[in-house]
Amino acid sequence: MKRNLKSFLILSLVLVLVLSMVLFSCKKKEEPEAEETAAPVKVGMATDVGGLGDKSFNDGAYNGLLLGKERLGIVPTVVESKQQTDYVPNLSGLAEDGHKLVFAVGFLMADALLEAAKNNPDAYFAGIDIFVDPATAPKNVMGILYKEEESGYLAGVLAGLMTKKYASASPKLNDKNVVGVVLGMFIPPVEKFEVGFYQGVKAVNPDCQVISVTTGSFTDQAKGKEAALAMIENGADIIFHAAGLTGLGAINAAKEKGVFAIGVDVDQNPVAPDTVLTSAVKGIVNSTYLTIEAMMQDRFEGGTTKTFGINEDSTGIAPFHQFDSMIPQEVKDIINQTIADMKAGKIKIATTRAEAGMK
Amino acid sequence: MSGILSVFNLNLLIATIRLSTPITLAALGATICERAGIVNIAMEGIMIIGSFFAAVTALATGNPWLGLLAGLLAGGIFSLIHAVATISLHLDHVVSGAVLNILAFGITRYLMVLFFGHPGTTDAIPLSLYRFQWAIPGLSKIPVLGPIFFNQTPIVYFSFILVIFFAFIMKKTKFGLHIRAAGEHPLALETIGVSVFKIRYLAVFISGLTSGLAGAYLSIENNVSFTEGMTNGRGFIALAANISGGWTPLGSFLSSLFFGFADALQVRFQIIKLVNVPSEIFIIFPYVATVIVVAGLVRKSRSPKALGNDFMIEKERD
Repeated sequence: MKRNLKSFLILSLVLVLVLSMVLFSCKKKEEPEAEETAAPVKVGMATDVGGLGDKSFNDGAYNGLLLGKERLGIVPTVVESKQQTDYVPNLSGLAEDGHKLVFAVGFLMADALLEAAKNNPDAYFAGIDIFVDPATAPKNVMGILYKEEESGYLAGVLAGLMTKKYASASPKLNDKNVVGVVLGMFIPPVEKFEVGFYQGVKAVNPDCQVISVTTGSFTDQAKGKEAALAMIENGADIIFHAAGLTGLGAINAAKEKGVFAIGVDVDQNPVAPDTVLTSAVKGIVNSTYLTIEAMMQDRFEGGTTKTFGINEDSTGIAPFHQFDSMIPQEVKDIINQTIADMKAGKIKIATTRAEAGMK
Repeated sequence: MSGILSVFNLNLLIATIRLSTPITLAALGATICERAGIVNIAMEGIMIIGSFFAAVTALATGNPWLGLLAGLLAGGIFSLIHAVATISLHLDHVVSGAVLNILAFGITRYLMVLFFGHPGTTDAIPLSLYRFQWAIPGLSKIPVLGPIFFNQTPIVYFSFILVIFFAFIMKKTKFGLHIRAAGEHPLALETIGVSVFKIRYLAVFISGLTSGLAGAYLSIENNVSFTEGMTNGRGFIALAANISGGWTPLGSFLSSLFFGFADALQVRFQIIKLVNVPSEIFIIFPYVATVIVVAGLVRKSRSPKALGNDFMIEKERD
């Protein structure tokens, strides 16, 4: 009996410990209230399980909120989701707490976003990487999508040119006509990055072999590294990744083996300045900010999905940093021309493997 | 299909070692622990603790060797929770292990926020153990075997040494006999005057050390930073490797190699586009292969008789 009591006590102690940690990590990070305005507008966001610090879309949305705070005087709140069952309570909680606009960040929160929007008709909701169907969705929710394929395409044009025609520009490039793509989970935004990259490469270098490996995880660095190493063994000298934190392993592999990597979502050059050639960026900061601004000016486009692309300054590639002088002017000219054509709508880019004719 | 043979080359075998090392280390720990009678499903959690402290220490000091030491010790200390819970407090082993796994992920997330201001991933460490790759003179020149076994990075060498060391300990030494007795017939061990408590504590601690080392391999040797959840189920694969390896160090090692081999193979199959199926099929391949091997071999292996049994000596009180 005594023994049971003891183990019960221990178990509950451990449980309390675990719960307090969970609570701590879900704790709201409330920014201090702005002083001058009488009733500042509150804008909230709920991260997906990746949470802040992913150096990718959660951080991007948060920075968009901070930009809104700076320029528009809104009060931002972030709630982090520990698991998928937190999504609806977190989103609804923010709305009930008087937040006029609530962001859901990530493809995986789609269902939760719609449910929260239905339950809280007085608040506005916006979902990043989420498609909102105008036919069925309530009028207080909008979806925000990106043309990842545009960023991927530009990165592909660069990779396709550098790997063969301009391979003499750097000792990191070999004479083989092969580039690689490391993918995380195979979900639509990842597929769009890959397919765009593939088409970009093929547009300038039809014979180039584009190899891709799906790792099935966004947090497995070792898998990302292995995928990249296997590609490098097969002659790849530029590795693009659309794999979140898994991609850090791919960048590390490229660094160890002395080849180039191309980052994703944000400018990942700081991760490995001597390895990351550029990054296929996705302007989440900008689009989040623009959405807040629209809401403040009563232009919130509820019930629709807005797609941000190169014309909204939300897709593209990051600066070349230390490689700027290494990349030949002709390559830069082709990329600038591609951007101009893309803005003018002259380039049609498929968004799925099937459409792009990939196996 | 002609490309299929091109996959089977030296690089595949080198990749096998690379992918199996963390599993080997954790599986060795599981073997020692379970042979002493303590069920251990907490390797996953211990590994993540090890990888976190290894990376943090390597970041703070700039010295990956201190990081290695920190990962090792953090794993050992964390595993003591399991020892206290199961041995001293007689808690169910599986329950304690499950709690430890959840706890480890909570702790690392909490400490990430505390140390770095955000969860997710740490900054890159300045110097990784990969830089200390060392080709053993002479031996590394042996064809095939040389590049696979004798041109490796520090923790990989440790894993080889530990396999041999533990195989020797378990088979040839008195201490090994005591460990086995603690898992087969603890009462017999106690009657010859050896403390089952002590042996079991030590066994759990050893499993913590090797699992911590496995974690350190992931964060400071194979990669250069810690990422939340970077173990991705390797601790559980290690458990399976230990079981299909028949609760022996050598068997655990071979099973881990098999899983690493299957994993290395699926990546290369994706590259040559062996068959046109969704990539998920490739991703599950190593797991399915492991399940088949476990199901196939496990009938031949026998678990320690007193595995998971609580051991309690009622002491007379006055």
